[in-house]
Parts: sequence; C-alpha cells; structure tokens
Amino acid sequence: MTGADARSAERSAKAPLLELRHVSKAFPGVRALDDVSLEIRGGEVHMLLGENGAGKSSLIKVLCGAYRPDGGEFLHLGQHLAIASPADARRLGIAVIFQEFSLVPFLDLAQNIFLGREPRHRGSPLVDRGRMHREAAGILASLGLDYDTHALAVDLGVAQQQMVEIAKALSQQARILVMDEPTAALSDRETDALFKVIRQLRASGVAIVYISHRLNEVFELGDRITVLRDGRRVAGMAVADATPEQLIGLMVGRAVGTVYARRHFATPGEPALEVRGLRTATGVDGVDLTVRRGEIVGLSGLVGAGRTEVARAVFGADPIAGGEVRVFGTRVDGGPERIAARGVALIPENRKHEGLALKRSTQDNLLAASLWKLFPRGGYRARRAVDRARELIARLRITPAEPRRHARVLSGGNQQKVVIGKWLAAGCSLYIFDEPTRGIDVGAKSEIFALIEELVTQGAAVLLISSELAEIVHVCDRAYVMRGGRVRGELARSELSEEAILRLAMHGT
Amino acid sequence: MQAGTLAVVRRPRPLPAIVPIGLTVVVLAILGVHGFASARNVTNLGLQGAILLMLSMPMTLVIMSEGLDLSAGAVLSLCSVAMALALAGGHGLSAALALSIAVGAAFGLGNGMLISLLGLPPFVVTLGTLGIAQGIALVLTDGNAVSGLGPAVSALYSRSLLGVPYPVLAALATWWLTHVLLYGTRFGNYVYAIGGNRDALVLAGARAWAWHVAVYVYMGCVVGFAALLLTGRMNAAHPTVAIGMEFDAIAAVVLGGTSFERGDGRLFGTAIGVATIAVLRNALDLLGVESSLQVVSIGVLIMVVIVIDSLRKARKSA
Repeated sequence: MTGADARSAERSAKAPLLELRHVSKAFPGVRALDDVSLEIRGGEVHMLLGENGAGKSSLIKVLCGAYRPDGGEFLHLGQHLAIASPADARRLGIAVIFQEFSLVPFLDLAQNIFLGREPRHRGSPLVDRGRMHREAAGILASLGLDYDTHALAVDLGVAQQQMVEIAKALSQQARILVMDEPTAALSDRETDALFKVIRQLRASGVAIVYISHRLNEVFELGDRITVLRDGRRVAGMAVADATPEQLIGLMVGRAVGTVYARRHFATPGEPALEVRGLRTATGVDGVDLTVRRGEIVGLSGLVGAGRTEVARAVFGADPIAGGEVRVFGTRVDGGPERIAARGVALIPENRKHEGLALKRSTQDNLLAASLWKLFPRGGYRARRAVDRARELIARLRITPAEPRRHARVLSGGNQQKVVIGKWLAAGCSLYIFDEPTRGIDVGAKSEIFALIEELVTQGAAVLLISSELAEIVHVCDRAYVMRGGRVRGELARSELSEEAILRLAMHGT
Repeated sequence: MQAGTLAVVRRPRPLPAIVPIGLTVVVLAILGVHGFASARNVTNLGLQGAILLMLSMPMTLVIMSEGLDLSAGAVLSLCSVAMALALAGGHGLSAALALSIAVGAAFGLGNGMLISLLGLPPFVVTLGTLGIAQGIALVLTDGNAVSGLGPAVSALYSRSLLGVPYPVLAALATWWLTHVLLYGTRFGNYVYAIGGNRDALVLAGARAWAWHVAVYVYMGCVVGFAALLLTGRMNAAHPTVAIGMEFDAIAAVVLGGTSFERGDGRLFGTAIGVATIAVLRNALDLLGVESSLQVVSIGVLIMVVIVIDSLRKARKSA
C-alpha cells in the first residue's frame, strides 16, 4: 500500500507525457469528437470508457495520426506540436495495438517485431538476423515471455499475437501504448498474463491508454478514468474515487436524436423463433431466447458480445455446434436457403455487402427473393415486375420512387428499405435485423422503425439487434442482453432502461 | 511460462506434397523409361529445365505478393527478339543482353505500377501486357524467325564448367540470388508482408507500394536475362516461341506449395515443382507422348497436389 501511495504521489508531480486540449473531429452528419481534452501521464493506466459509438475509436485514431482533428491542440511534455501522420505519432513514442493485429503470418517473430526497421550489416543490404533475433529475444524475455523468435506468427494464438504486438511497440521505444479492448478475445488466464505485463510496463514509466467494456478491469488495473459520451468528455477522475454505479450513470443517456415512439403493443401470438442452448464455434456459448408473432424483441449487448453470431447461426450462415433452433414450431437445420424458405429474413449489418446487389436496380433488388413467387411458371413478364416493384416502392416510401435507379446511389435509409422490401415481397414472417439504423440519418431511422412496427402489427415477429441502447428501450417489447456469448438477462417492457441493459452488458457489476 | 501465456516454440513446417510426388515421378522415370537416366538425357533435361527454373524463381515472389504474371512468356519472346535483332544488327553480346534486360524491366515496371499504384488486378494487367509484348514481337519480325546472329550467343550457350552446362549454372545462380533476396534482405521480408498483411507494412512506415513494384521489376529483369538462354538454344529468335511458358512457371510455383492468398511460399518447393514438370515432360517425350497430352498430365498433377495439400490443411485445422 505504501508503495502504491508513493507511486501515485510521484506520478501526480510529473508533467503529462501527452496532453490533448479541446480536440474536435466531425464527419458528415456526425460529431465524432467534440471538444475533448485528455491528459496522459507516464506510469499510469488511463482507462477510456464509453458506450458503443461514444468516440473512443475516433480518439485513438487522432492519437495515432490516422485522423487529423478539425480543431484543438497537442502538447508533448509541455511542447506544442501536431500529430499529422502515423509517422509523427511513432516519433512521439505513441503505439496503438488495434483489435485487428498487424502481424505478417509467414514471417517469424523477430521479423515481425522489426518489420520496417530491420537492422542491417554495416555497408550491406543483408539483414543482420543474429542481431535482430537477439534483440527480439531480449524484449520478449523482458516481458517474461518464453517465445522462440524463429516461430512464425501464423502459429500463434490471439493472446500470443497480442504479446508480440506489445513487444513490437516496445522495440520502437513506445512511451504511450494505446490498447483497444485487449482482453476481448482472451481467456482469464491469458488476461492475467496480459495484466502482469501491463503492470510491469507501468512500473517502468510507460503510459497505457486502455479501452475496455469491462468494469472489473477498470477497477483492477486502472489509475485514472476518462468517460466519453456522444463524442464529449463527460467526466474524468481517479479510479479510487469512482464507483461502478457512477460510471454506468455517466455512460448512458446518449442523445440519439428523436427516438422513435412505438405506437401500440399487441398481445404476442404463437412462438416464431425458439432458440435453446445454442452454441457455435464463433463464440455463442449457450443462448436461449424466444420471439413471438406480433412482438419486437431486442438483442442487446456491447460489441463482441455475440449478437451477430447468434443471428448468423439462426439463419444457417454459420454451423451450429450445439442446441436447437425452432422456427414456427419446426426444428430447422441447414443452410440459409432452407431457413429462408421457412419465411425467415436476415437483414445484415453490412447491407452494402451482404444485403444488396449495388450495381442492380431498385426493382431487381426488391424482387430478388420473390421472383418464383411472382412468376411461378418461370416466364418473366416485364410489365408485371415493374408494377410489383412500384407497389413495394410506394408501400415502403422509397425515394426516389424509380424502379430503375441503381441501388448504389440510394441513401443509406432507402437502401435499408430496399433490403426490407426484398424480404417483405417474399412473404417472410420472421425478421432478424442486425443494426438496421447504422449509418442512417435520424429522419430515416424513425421511418425504418415505423416499417418494423408495421411488420409486427401484421403478425410478423422481429428480433432486433442494436448497439443503440435507446433504440432497444424505445422500440422493443422486451429484450435479451448478451455478454461473452451468453444471454445474461431478459428485461420485460417495464424493466427496460439504458442503465439496466448496461448493467447486464458489462463485466463486474 | 512465468507470464501465463503458453511458451511459443518454432513449429516445423510440413513438407509440401510435391516432394514425395516429385520423387515418385523421378523414380518411375528412371525405372520405367528407357534412356531416361543416360548422361546425354540428363544434360538435356537440365537444359530443358533451366529456363523454367529461371522464370519460376521470381514468379514465386510475384505469387507470394498475391500477384500473378501472365505476361512472362510473351515478354520473354519479345526480349529474345530484341536480343536477336541487336545481334543481327552487328551489336555485341553484352549490348544485346543489356537491351533484353531493359525490355524485361520496362514491362515489369509497367506491370508493377499498374498493380501497385492503381490497385488493378494482376490477372487483368498482365493479360494486357501479354498482348502488348506479343504484338510488338510480331510487328518487329513480321511473324518470322530472326536468324543470322553470328556464333557468340550459341557458343556461350554450349559452354560448360566442370561438366555443368552454362545455362544450368545461370538457372542455379538465379535460384541462389532469389534465395538471398527472399530470406536475407528487407525486400524479402516485405514480399511476405505484401502478400500476408500489406497494412502492417504500411503501418510500419515502409513504402509498401515501391516494394510491390520492385517484385515485378525483378521478375522482368530475370525474364530479360532468361532470353539469353532461349536465344542461345536456337541461335535464333521466334516471336511466339515462349508463349505458354508462364503457365509452366505458375504451375511449378503452385506445385511447390506457394499460396495465392496468404503470403506463404518457399523457393525450395518451387524448385521441386520445376524438376517434376521437367522430368515429366522429358519422360513423356521419350515415351513418344504428344505435347498436348503432356499438358493434360501436368494439369492432373497440379490437381492431385492441390487436393492433397488442402486435405492435409483441413485435417490440421480440424
């Protein structure tokens, strides 16, 4: 304890390694960062907290030079400067470990650690492999790792790749190490190993900026906390002064524009989707849920909780390792064609790649899943197809109301309507929406929700995956909350609140 | 183990399936084909395989960088034509060779720039340059062979050192040079990175685009040099003689276990692939099998090796 006290006293006396003042960054339609200030000191673990979309990723990208902020200033050891490129960030000793690792699979560990900075023999183009391996081995050993520097990166597990990334950062004399949810894919034991390394780095004076969704990590590892919401810094404090309840309170309450107001709630009908004990190789670890006709059921959780994986498994896009899925009472098994034939529609998160043929017309996209229904004998009649397309365009209020317009040129909201229309035309009665409002402006959002509500009033069932807590709270009849591949709780309409969802969605509360 | 994640040890890489299959082909040829193992035929085999080995070495780097060079055969023909025209015009051998390498390098530079800077698919780009090179070669020669080169180039081709023909030595030297480049220099590391994780290379601050161009320039230079062997063999040049050689080279690389997708490859495997194709063609020649059926046999061989490799991979990951 006295050691920790002495350490914190010493730390507070130091000038910050890096200071961001009033940094802003806007994209069309979004203020990603709005007047954010941040102080990073040597020898501390600085926890960055915030809901999905709060601005954490943008802040990292500004730190590593990938985004140029629109306004604000940087101070490095009290000196004004600019971080205009990744090279600038590297010179300042800032290293970022993204969730997507930057290792080359068929190079060995030493080659990966020194990629771009390979030591060479004096006066020769040949790489000094002896020195490279010696230095790489030294860095790995200083992290307490028993890794053979001749092993190939492709043979490493996730946790091991992460350690090599840290070694790579240290080999560049990084003084500020930014880690984006480093424990997301690690086991408990691997997490312990990572924490040990992080503590060791902190003791040696390195500053660590640590992004996490797990509150227990904040209290176990952190020294100070910055909470972001809607691109703004809403609070900063020492970990010793914070409580879990307080942090959750600070993170929720995002402004999501005018949230859609549900008009009416019907009594749910027969079960449309029953999932029991679902497990997959993609990380779903025992999920039970039920969706009935006439209700919108939310599936909430933080990024990486396993929601999309549930949707893909139910739709037959990923194989099921255990458990069963029933659609309208019948057990289903098989690929997406067989599931779709039972009236199930998956409207994927990435509509541009998975939901639309961008180079085809609005009409072609709308009719893509219902051509056999429209022309049961196989003959195609252009007049009839255009009429059907116009009917759908009118019903979905797609603009421009022009069947021949390419899907690529439509706005995000209208593209989403086309995807919905495609399944509507096919007569589907169970819809799984994965982040249906991502990248869609506020006005179009409420139109999308109006359509979704229309679907359930006509007797369809809807499973809605959304990272926007407010959407779940305002649109759904009830909601399941996932964390770590499992459903951690079910919230009835009367219990639905952003706090309640976050409490279930985060670790250690 | 102190830190909790498991220790990492170097895992041996499995031998590509071509090694046992190539050995089988060689043994069958020795035992079953009359005249295969004669000294004269072995020399002949080496000469036949030399150009293929030269093309396949840089082709391995191209494919490791997630690329492809369909133009190699046509550019080789054009280089040979350029060299022959220079020689027939009374220029010296070194000037003719320099011209040939310059032509090859220019095509490599063009391929590399279009692929690396504009991000065009290598298949399309090199299909285009294939047509360009072939067209120029035909225009320059009116479709006829170029002869009257004098004795210099064929004399060089026929020389040998300690019983090893010069062309074979040139091919082995290309292997050695490519080996040093791939395993001993930054360029080699970056070839792996361009195919395996180009973003990592960019993030590491290296000029990934320039290294990517360099892969194709190297290919072009080697093609220009290989024209020396092609021209010397016939003491003449023909505008379409090397068309299709790129397919044997690509086949050798694929047989050797180089991946089109992940930046994985080994020169040793490519060399075995070259040897297998050369032995197969030579043995089938001796057996009197016509050329089109030889192509079929190489196709079957590729299928067998690819299926075996993918089955082994599937079992490993299961």
